[in-house]
Amino acid sequence: MVAASFRVAQDNQDRNHVQLFGQWSLREPLNDFAKLRKSLQPFFLDNFTKWDLLELEQLDAAGAATLLSGWGNKLNNNISLKPEHEELFNALISLTKQPNKKTTVDWLSPLSSLGKGVLYLIHHFNEFSRLLASLLLEIAYLFRRPQDFPWREFSANVYKSGVNALPVTALLGFMIGIVMGYLMSKQLHAFGADVYIVNILGLSIIRELGPVLMAVLVAGRSGSAMTAQIGVMRVTDEIDALTTMGISRTLRIVLPKVLGLTFVSPLLVLWTSSWALAGGACASNLELGISFRFFFEYLPLVVQPINLTLSLIKGLIFGFVVALVACHFGLRIKPNTESLSNSTTSSVVTAISGVILVNAWFAILTRGIGV
Amino acid sequence: MNEDFIQNTLKNKSHDQEIICDLKNICTEFGDNIVHHNLDLKVKRGDIIALVGRSGCGKTTLLRHIIGLTKPLSGKVLLFGENMQAMERVAQRRLMNRFGVLFQQGALFSALTVFDNIAFPLRELKQFDESVIYQLVMHKLALVELEPRNAELLPAEISGGMIKRVGLARALALEPELLVLDEPTAGLDPDRSHNFIDLVKQLKKSLGLTVIFVTHDMDTLASLAERVAVLEDKHIIEDCSLKELAKSNHPFVINFFQSIRSRIEGL
Repeated sequence: MVAASFRVAQDNQDRNHVQLFGQWSLREPLNDFAKLRKSLQPFFLDNFTKWDLLELEQLDAAGAATLLSGWGNKLNNNISLKPEHEELFNALISLTKQPNKKTTVDWLSPLSSLGKGVLYLIHHFNEFSRLLASLLLEIAYLFRRPQDFPWREFSANVYKSGVNALPVTALLGFMIGIVMGYLMSKQLHAFGADVYIVNILGLSIIRELGPVLMAVLVAGRSGSAMTAQIGVMRVTDEIDALTTMGISRTLRIVLPKVLGLTFVSPLLVLWTSSWALAGGACASNLELGISFRFFFEYLPLVVQPINLTLSLIKGLIFGFVVALVACHFGLRIKPNTESLSNSTTSSVVTAISGVILVNAWFAILTRGIGV
Repeated sequence: MNEDFIQNTLKNKSHDQEIICDLKNICTEFGDNIVHHNLDLKVKRGDIIALVGRSGCGKTTLLRHIIGLTKPLSGKVLLFGENMQAMERVAQRRLMNRFGVLFQQGALFSALTVFDNIAFPLRELKQFDESVIYQLVMHKLALVELEPRNAELLPAEISGGMIKRVGLARALALEPELLVLDEPTAGLDPDRSHNFIDLVKQLKKSLGLTVIFVTHDMDTLASLAERVAVLEDKHIIEDCSLKELAKSNHPFVINFFQSIRSRIEGL
């Protein structure tokens, strides 16, 4: 094995003769075609250079293409070749890339991309409604044949997205409770309104923060997992396998996920809110000296119990939205890695945006209740 | 200069007998399951060697040892005379460019088009500009007998036979000396698998490749392999041509050949 090299000589007319030696091939690991090309560049530019390739040991497509690009993609009389190499060069010349057509500026493109976006949204909405409808149909079917209810999958989902989420929701709830309690007690103390900390913390955490915090966490944790799982099942044809066994994919895959998360979400809301309140109570105890006993005895007097009901209903809806969005995006995954990552991202982003939208709408509807 | 010359001619003389891949005393265990025990195998330059054996006997594992994806529990894998596991990174990468692998499912990058899949190893070398890469990719596509218009398709949009061809083109992109094929014809219909074998044979001849492959398919074995290594009972029990294998009296080999014969008689 001899690495590619070249030798330059000058004839009596001051013309360069470049003679190539060795293996002009990728197979020789010591070759670096970028460097070779660079050092040959002055001779490529000089039209009178004579090229001698007769002494080459080996020439492969990579070496030939590098030389060709230097010669401007054509052979001429200054180049002497072995006949077997000529074939390779001619084959490569026929494969030259056609220059791209000049792209014309399309003034209507913003409009058309807007149109495309709207159509895409409508398409998504259609698919989503279809999924929702088929889910409702399956639930109706289950009323007729309750023995078909997928209990095992349901309980697995409750465990995965509920029980396994307990530590992280507790930790985050507690931390947020502490931060909120600490900041508010500073402000309230300045007005001498120490005792109102219970009202503010109670109302904000129970009514708003608890459900939304839970929904965001669950969307990031379980929503993404559901999308990815369904996506991989699609990629590996598992969903088709289910269908051929006569098992509805909505019944076996979508329904247990949606119902499982819907069932467990209110409980998670309760759990998250309790930890957040505990955190708030800790902070107000440290900052304002309000005792835990006072905090929790005073809480039900200033926060109407209807708020708790509202928060549980919210949890129910949020869980439903997150799971359904996750399944929707999961079922749209195409069998490639790019689509998998895009859909998982869209699933989480859409679920969180959806939850916040629903929350705003809910806040407007219930603005007269409980405050 | 003179000494170099002599050494080169000496090298060229021994070229044909050069051992490209040398497995020495390979032992592999998965938990309690002993897969290979003191296994030896040598592959010479220019061989087309088939690795056969029953399912789950560790053929693919052996293949993965050879290409450096896994490391045997003990023993040495010498590729081109060098131990890949004990090399520094740049040299290891250079060595890995000297062989090409076609995985069973093609293992094409699903997010890249056919063109980008084949261009990927070439781009990684950082030695060529885009116009050269275009020519090289198109050259490789023509080599595996694919149309240029297929270049813009995604792996999900092409058939199984085409995936294998594109995988082969990608494996050949860096002009390897050694080609490793894992079940090259699995999942292809007889016609396509026949074509694919012809393609590999023809490429072997024109590019001077050494080929190691694993197969379960008798037709592939009979028409492609020049040598057969039989992996059975944790060892290579036979390593010879198919004709010589027919004379073997090892029970596994006899059984194996009976299945070929009965199939031929059944036709």
